[in-house]
Amino acid sequence: MNKGWRQAINNRYQQWIERRLPPLKKVRLDNRKLFIFPTRVGFFYFVLLILLWLIATNFENNLVFGFTFLLASIFVIGVFHTFLNLSGLQIEGGKATPGFAGDTAEFEYLLSQTGKRSRYSIEFSHPGVDPIVESLVGREIKAVYLSVPVTKRGWFQAQRITVRSVYPLGLLKAWTYLQFDTAALVYPKAIDAPLPPQATAGLGDKPPPQNYMAHNSGSEDFVGLEKYRLGESLRHIAWKQYAREQGLQTKHYADAIDDELWLDWGALSGMDKEARLSRLCAWALRLSETSQTYGLRLPGLELAPGTGRAHRDTVLRELALFEQPKVAGKLL
Amino acid sequence: MRPLWQIPRDCLFWLLVSVVISIGLHLEHLPPWVALSGIIAALWQIQLYRERWRQPGRLLKWSLAGACAGGLFLHYGRMNGLEPMVALLFTGYVLKLLEIHHRRDALVLLYLSYLIIILQSLFSSTIVSSLLVLAALLPVTAALVAMHGAAEPSRPTTALRTALAITLQAIPLMLVMFIVMPRLGSLWAVPQQNSGTTGVSDSMSPGDMTKLGRSGKIAFRVEFDGPMPEQSQLYWRGLVFSGFDGRRWDQQAPWGYNDGRFLQWSNQPLQPWDKVIKRRGEPLSYRVTLEATKSPWLFALSTPLAPSPTIALSRDFRLVNKSPVNGKLQYSVKSWLDNQLEPESLPGWRHKLELALPAGYNPKTIEIAKQWRQQTPDTGALINRLLRLFNQEFIYTLRPPALGKHTVDEFLWGTKKGFCEFYASSFVFFMRAAGVPARVVVGYQGGERHPTENYLLVHQYDAHAWAEVWLEGRGWLRVDPTAAVAPERIEMSFAELFSEQDDFLSASPFALERMRHIQWLNTLRLKLDSLDYAWAKWVLGYENMQNDFLMGLLGSINPQRIAVFLLLAGAIALLPIFIMLYLSREKNTRDQLDRLFLQYCARLEKMGLPRQAGEGARDYAQRISLQAPSLAGPVEQLTGLYESARYAGEQESEVLLFKAALKVFKPSTKDLPKKLNGSIAGR
Repeated sequence: MNKGWRQAINNRYQQWIERRLPPLKKVRLDNRKLFIFPTRVGFFYFVLLILLWLIATNFENNLVFGFTFLLASIFVIGVFHTFLNLSGLQIEGGKATPGFAGDTAEFEYLLSQTGKRSRYSIEFSHPGVDPIVESLVGREIKAVYLSVPVTKRGWFQAQRITVRSVYPLGLLKAWTYLQFDTAALVYPKAIDAPLPPQATAGLGDKPPPQNYMAHNSGSEDFVGLEKYRLGESLRHIAWKQYAREQGLQTKHYADAIDDELWLDWGALSGMDKEARLSRLCAWALRLSETSQTYGLRLPGLELAPGTGRAHRDTVLRELALFEQPKVAGKLL
Repeated sequence: MRPLWQIPRDCLFWLLVSVVISIGLHLEHLPPWVALSGIIAALWQIQLYRERWRQPGRLLKWSLAGACAGGLFLHYGRMNGLEPMVALLFTGYVLKLLEIHHRRDALVLLYLSYLIIILQSLFSSTIVSSLLVLAALLPVTAALVAMHGAAEPSRPTTALRTALAITLQAIPLMLVMFIVMPRLGSLWAVPQQNSGTTGVSDSMSPGDMTKLGRSGKIAFRVEFDGPMPEQSQLYWRGLVFSGFDGRRWDQQAPWGYNDGRFLQWSNQPLQPWDKVIKRRGEPLSYRVTLEATKSPWLFALSTPLAPSPTIALSRDFRLVNKSPVNGKLQYSVKSWLDNQLEPESLPGWRHKLELALPAGYNPKTIEIAKQWRQQTPDTGALINRLLRLFNQEFIYTLRPPALGKHTVDEFLWGTKKGFCEFYASSFVFFMRAAGVPARVVVGYQGGERHPTENYLLVHQYDAHAWAEVWLEGRGWLRVDPTAAVAPERIEMSFAELFSEQDDFLSASPFALERMRHIQWLNTLRLKLDSLDYAWAKWVLGYENMQNDFLMGLLGSINPQRIAVFLLLAGAIALLPIFIMLYLSREKNTRDQLDRLFLQYCARLEKMGLPRQAGEGARDYAQRISLQAPSLAGPVEQLTGLYESARYAGEQESEVLLFKAALKVFKPSTKDLPKKLNGSIAGR
């Protein structure tokens, strides 16, 4: 019963926050976006004030009254200082660095301001992440990085971050929740295993022999034309056919001796989908550290062998987004 | 184990400063070993921070706590009372310093620092000590700032500067609250400071008054509503002594009287004895600001009434406070100088009380008094005869010879040297022996008129003792035998009279009063005193002024006016911070850009080239280039700047460029082609 109520109140609060603080690219904090409330320390300060007031009243001592009022006024002035520490601060969602499932993805937030007042001890936190404390001195631009744990491959939309400050007295907290339209790509969790043997061609599996390794369309024996797939080398496009308006097709060649490796989905039959992707991911990572060229074959997709960082990222991206939405859901 | 919280360096610095300052503030009334253990704990904490020493063990900590509690009990012999309680709080505070494991511990220490520093105001209420307390609160606030401040190690002065700014901004608001917030009055009885009383005591034996003669401290100040009465009228009655045991005079209250209660409170029905007071004429109104005496006796001219629920009129016609006066106390009094007290015949029990003499003392005086009574049956003549004797044969001195068992005999018929209490005591004894009801009154006489401010300063050395005798049909009459010996003692102030004598103020050798013959020092002393008096009147005793002050300020006191005043005064008090807010406001560059663009449009409009509704900046510029080709250049340039400012995200530098260009853009009608110019002129 109690829980239900709490849940309901919490939901209403979340909805209210959604309406009040919609997702943004860049935000400048002001009185419409900031909340302010006494902290627990602040409530104990009230207890101190009440105690002092009782002493002043009972001893009928105007000096104690005066100092009690001074402490109370310091609290009131503290409201302004705490508010001003955040007000006017500009926060922009920066780039998101991809991560592996089970690890973290890193989100960047850029702090800037048009004024020149220094701001201290601003706490940034994302659900599930230890807060990061940052100060902004003068007109500098500062980046804050939050490493958010990610569990599922695909696009990960950053949740609302909390920007909070109790500076200068700790008696009051000013805070806001900010939703930025940034998403990080999450690669499959890399589960390593020994690399497959070099040549496993012609195993006689059905459908037509697909080997995760060796073999590609070398350049010697022309085999036939296939529909062009994204990522295939432009060198193999059959331009003649294209000119005849037969669409983009690639020429495929058979080559007996091939130093190109294929990371092939089909060769890992018997494993479930995520395990296959994890295995392919681990292999891609391992191969990317060598000069070995490697390609990727997933159902409905073939990436021509290549090497280098950009190639690795393309491979990982395809693995991450396999049977997942190809673009991050837009919040804006 | 989770790592314990590490206190920030600058926070620890200010925390230790606050500890040392609170030790300094309370040094006067703390046992020295408590102060010493505070210093040791502070040093220990420093060594802990530097990781040189280890945390004291649990056993050591508990035995320290036990030792401190035991030590306090041994030192004070009791645990109730203000001083032991503050000392106990203090030891807890000092011991807590040894265990700062969490943020919470540091906060407890900071809040205790606030409390302990402010509690100093219960012990001392001078301007200087209040300023010290105010200054002492700064490091505590600085520690609070340091604790929540910049994450990177910062210098302690950064926190102090912030704390100072916040405190200064808070002061106007504090004043508003001080002026307006109502004072409720004591909610329950609280332990008061217990130490020796000052001023006149509740009994009088030979030599008591000399102590006071050596003190230059202020006893009380009086502000009269009308003109001040003559110096010789100023007999501030404090205590009435009717009991004598041969050496010591003391009060008979309350067991000596039996017609109603001894004390008449203003909010209670009149006691039966009230009718023996005959008040005549207009009363004299004045306000007394009494320094702490730690006894309940108040001082007033005869015969007084004080309209306060905490002040009573006693059966012997003086004022008594509800509780001992532990701080400055302000009270208003009305006194009927023209009065008769118990003018009708005294009942038998009253006669007995006011004629009682201890058996076996001063036989010679009793004998002579009886003789004189037979020779001069008229009481008035008898009094005059004794006063004449004093006047002719006695000497007034602050250093009288010591007296033996029969004090009155030895003084009257032997040494013949003494001061007020000797004369009052022997006069009353003589009168009682002669069958005239008489009693001793103790209080202050005269005072020093402040030359520039309209108030009277009464010092401890103005303490005085005199006599009251009862005459049939006249009631109690004041007789001051000292005036017969040394009339100048009454006409002049005591200080003027005795400032040359060595014994005067010998207890305070550096008192400014001793230098009263040096003109500028005397002026300085009186200036300081008027400051002190203003402090006492407006700050320490503000609850007495609050009503009148708010009345004067608001016209009348009602909730609406108070609310309006609070809002206005609060706004004024917060003005500094609003100014700060305004000065440091973030410039909204978008607004600024829009405003500048409107200026640009207005300048063109004056030329007869208004912007059409819904016309974009670029279209506008093109149209102007067509209509007034001479303006095409500047308009083109400005529009370019405007667009880049607008689409570069309202960067401040871009906006400033547009602003600078706009400044030199001063189109005039001369630039217009003839046709257009003509049409404007025709309008």
